[in-house]
Parts: sequence; structure tokens; C-alpha cells
Amino acid sequence: MAHPSLDGRLRSIDSQRQQVLAHPLARSLDILEVRNHLLAVPARRFPSIRYAERQAGVPLLQPRGGTPIFEDQLRLTKMLSDAGADFIPLTIDSCTRHNQYDTAGQLLRRSEEAGKAFLNGYPLVCHGYELTRELFKGLDKPVSLRHGTPDARLLVEMAIGSGIAEIEGGGLCYCLPYSEGFPLDRALLYWQYVDRICALYSTPDRPIHRESFGPLSATLVPPVVVLVVELCEMLLSAEQGVQSFALSFGQTGSFIQDVAMAQVMRKLARELLHEHGFEAMQTRLVYHQWMGQFPMDQPRAAALIAGSALLAGAIDADKVVVKTVDEALGVPRAEANAEAVDTVRYVLRTFGVPSGLDSPHILAEADLIESQARHVMDAIFALSGGAFWESVYRAFQMGWIDLPFSPHSDNAGRLVSMRDGNRSIRILDPGHLPIKQFDLDRERILLSTRVDNETKAYRRMLADISLMV
Amino acid sequence: MGVIGDDIHTVGNRIMQLALEESQLRVFNLRTRNRPESFVQAALEVNAHAVFVSSLNGEGEHWCADFRQRFIEIGLPDVVLYVGGNVVVGTRPEPEVVELFKGYGFDRVYHQRPDIGAAIADLFEDLRTQSDQREHRRGPSFA
Repeated sequence: MAHPSLDGRLRSIDSQRQQVLAHPLARSLDILEVRNHLLAVPARRFPSIRYAERQAGVPLLQPRGGTPIFEDQLRLTKMLSDAGADFIPLTIDSCTRHNQYDTAGQLLRRSEEAGKAFLNGYPLVCHGYELTRELFKGLDKPVSLRHGTPDARLLVEMAIGSGIAEIEGGGLCYCLPYSEGFPLDRALLYWQYVDRICALYSTPDRPIHRESFGPLSATLVPPVVVLVVELCEMLLSAEQGVQSFALSFGQTGSFIQDVAMAQVMRKLARELLHEHGFEAMQTRLVYHQWMGQFPMDQPRAAALIAGSALLAGAIDADKVVVKTVDEALGVPRAEANAEAVDTVRYVLRTFGVPSGLDSPHILAEADLIESQARHVMDAIFALSGGAFWESVYRAFQMGWIDLPFSPHSDNAGRLVSMRDGNRSIRILDPGHLPIKQFDLDRERILLSTRVDNETKAYRRMLADISLMV
Repeated sequence: MGVIGDDIHTVGNRIMQLALEESQLRVFNLRTRNRPESFVQAALEVNAHAVFVSSLNGEGEHWCADFRQRFIEIGLPDVVLYVGGNVVVGTRPEPEVVELFKGYGFDRVYHQRPDIGAAIADLFEDLRTQSDQREHRRGPSFA
């Protein structure tokens, strides 16, 4: 039996940390100096403080954004903050995400020379933490590190060094949707390091906040898969001493499923933390606006963003990560990003969305996905072995954690999902997912509510993926 | 079939696999991040009748040059070669893109075409022609 526990905490990371910080791009970062910097920045840079001030029913807003040239990022930061973003993003480029700092450095120089972006994000490791601090000088909002890095040890050291107090990611959620070949066991171990340094830099008043990335591949991912990944990552972070954590999920495409998902995620998170002695951990719920294929047509994209804002209000998300009308076209313009923040703010303000919605359909949906998630989590806890992270790894190897449309070569790829008559994501073939026959039967009954004349399964699946287009 | 270059866009690849399998074809999927030689070697290994190459980020243009030549060199001159997705970077007129890839030796080019069904129908037609040609070259087997 390998339940999460304090025994799973890394005892000493000093020697590993010396190796990580020995990298020339770490620029002899001094841990004590960083600690002092974290005490010197405004208190509202810490998400837990900002979250505590949130008014019920009104989610906090966060756009996404990253661009290679420092001055452009500075302009973007100011523009997003002026537009009313509650959290300021710092999105990292793909080369840095794959630890290719040399390439990132070359492309950064090329971008600076040409005055246009040759990277799809901000190369934080190349810019270094001293310069990056300048981006946020005087800012009294939390900054969120958005990336997709299986080995984020150096990146996160640099991010915290820059005064960034929210670190997104995790061993599962930043490996399976983002990497083709990065070994998952190594990703899990490297994220233990990240969790541990977040905990070590935290003080009771100023905890470094961790957030998991629930949208995953953002393509027909059944709720049970999201719940299991989010709950495992929350428990892995708790083991390392993280005090403030956000679970998240991406808009499913079904009103019912979104409401049910939020209920079950909140309930199981509290319950599992309590069961394993981690009650002290504060948890939040983050909702990602539609992460799948977006309409090219801008008025439609804007309508999707507005509709999705309504849902974020209905589930009373602690934070909503907003999309832009540029989504289908590439990296968004700063102006589109500012507009999107305004649109979402407008919807939330004008509609006064009622939360705590319920209906027999929502209850039935919540009951089903809760039962599935419990069953898989219990199966993972029951695996033999000494450490919880190993159980998570073995669950992946056995196809219990199987992410549809993952590019990862070790992902089982056996689970097949499809939408039902309510547009909720259903399990057609569970692959190796350990759920009860009764729950699988319920999935099939709900799936039979779908009415369409399409005979080919791949066409039905394509229609499901292009749901919002 | 597989995605070429360092591209890890996997959704289309997975759907394509399901669609081909649903059409009763035997599929060997190399999935994402493949160099041209992986396609050639795998085609030889499984004795492929057709090879589907896809690219979403546009790296296709760089990697697909001389694609047919590689198959000729390894002794598979007749294999049917298809390429599809978003095969070049930036916006270019479709006829130009089709001509470019036909020059690389592809039989069919599907640039920014959302419907997989057309490619599958074309494939069945091309496979029939291909098998006729093979028969013709070999001569009557009962002579």
C-alpha cells in the first residue's frame, strides 16, 4: 500500500540543488538573496493573499501571454494589468520547456536583432532572474508561470528568483500532453524537486502557490482522467510540503459536466487531503476556457469566450484562464488579450451568475464521475510499493492513467471517448481504466442518448472535437 | 503513417489511424516526431502499400524534399505516397503547395483539407491502380 504521506517527502535536496544551480545560466543565484526578495515584494504577489480577497461568485481573471523580447513582455505585462487582469501570466517558449537553452538563446538574439518574435514565449532562463524581476517592478498582483516543462527544476529556480509566486505544472500534466519521449518517472521525480523548493521558499504568510494543469490534451478527455491526474498531483505536492494549491480543468463542452466536475473536484480534494493528514493545504479551483479547437471567425470566438465566462461564474471558479479571439490564428496579440479580459469581466459583472446550480442530471453526472474517480484512486493507493509517486508511475505504465490524444509514446492510448446527447464526454472503450462494470454500463446508457446519422466513428469523433467551431 | 519533423501534434494522427482502421486497412502508426528515414525503414519492414505523411506545423516542406527518391533507393518505387495537414509554414496558394509536393514525388497532396474521407476514397483507387501496375510489370503469373 502506498498512500501519500510525509514519508514521501524528499529529505535533502542540497546536492541535487547544487547541480541544478551550477548551470551557467543560473548566474550564481543565491537562495538567501531570493528569500529576501520574496519578503520584499508586495504581499499581493502571492496568490493565496489575492484569492483570500476574492468576492464569491466572481472568478479572478488570468490571460496567457509570453513573447521573447524583454521590452515587448514588459509592454504586455502593463497592458494586461491595465486591462484588469487579476493574475499576470509569464508564458515560456517551447525551447526552454524542452531544456534547449542554447537554441532559445540563439532565437532570442535573432528576435532582438530582427525586432520580431522567433520564439513562442519568454525565454526566462536565458533572460535570467535579475532582468525578469524588472518586468514586475511595482506590480502588486500575482504572476503565474505558464509553461509545459517535464524537467522544470532550473526554470522554476529562476522563476521564484524573479519573484514569481505561482508555478503551474506537475509530473503528469506537464509531461503527458507536452512530450513525446520524456520518461514519466523522471518527470515525476523532477516535479518532486519543484514542489520541494516551492515549499522551502514558502513562509506561512507568503506561500509559493502551485497549480496543476487539468485541461491535459484538451481533446475529449473524460472527467475521471482529469480528476485522477489533478488529485494525484495535489497529493504529490502536499507530500513535499506545498501549502497552497490549485486544481484545474478545461471547459468540457457540456454545461452539466462542467458543473458536476467542479462539485466533485472540490469534494474529493478536501476529502483526500483530510484522509492523508494534509488538511492544512489550501486548495483553489481554476477553470480554463475552451482549450480545444477554436473558431477562426473572431465574432464567434468572442461569443465562445463570453459563454464560457458565464460557466466560470456558474461553477464559482476561484480563477478563470481566458482565451482570445486570436486563438485559432496563433500567439495572441496583446490587444486581443486585453479585450478578452474585458469581455470576461463584463459578462461576470453584468450577469451576476447564480452558483450552486443543481438538477437531477447534474446530480447523476456528479455521482457517476465521483464513483469512477474514487475507484481509480483506491486502485492506485492499493498498489504495492513504498512510495506514492511510484504507484502513480505504475498506474500510468498499466494504462490506468491513459490520456486520450497524448503525444507521449508510453501512453497506453487504449481509452476511447465520445460525446453523449448532452455533449458530455463519455467513455466508449475504457482500455485498462479500472472502473466498475456498473459505471461503465452507466456510461453506455448515457452514450445511447446521442442521436446522429453518422455511421463512421471517426466522423463522429471529428465532430466532437470540432464542437465549438 | 506518421507525423514528420519535430511536430508532436497528435490529434489528427490519431483520428486518421481510427479512420483508416475503420476502412478495414491495416495501419502501422509511427505517431509523432519522425525523420524521413523512419518512414522508409518502416515501409520496408511492414511491406507497406501506402505511406501517409502529415505535418501540422509546416515542417513538412523542409523534410519531404526527395521523399520519393528515398523509396526508390531502398527498392520500393511503387509505394503510394500521400502528404497532408498544414504542410507549409505561412499562407500560400494551394495549387503551388500541391505542385511543390508532387515535385517531391507524392501521389496526393492534401493541404488544409478538413475531410479525411476524400483521402481514403482516393487511396482505394490508387491502391487498385498500383496493384494493376505491379501485375502488368510482372507479367501473367501462369505463363
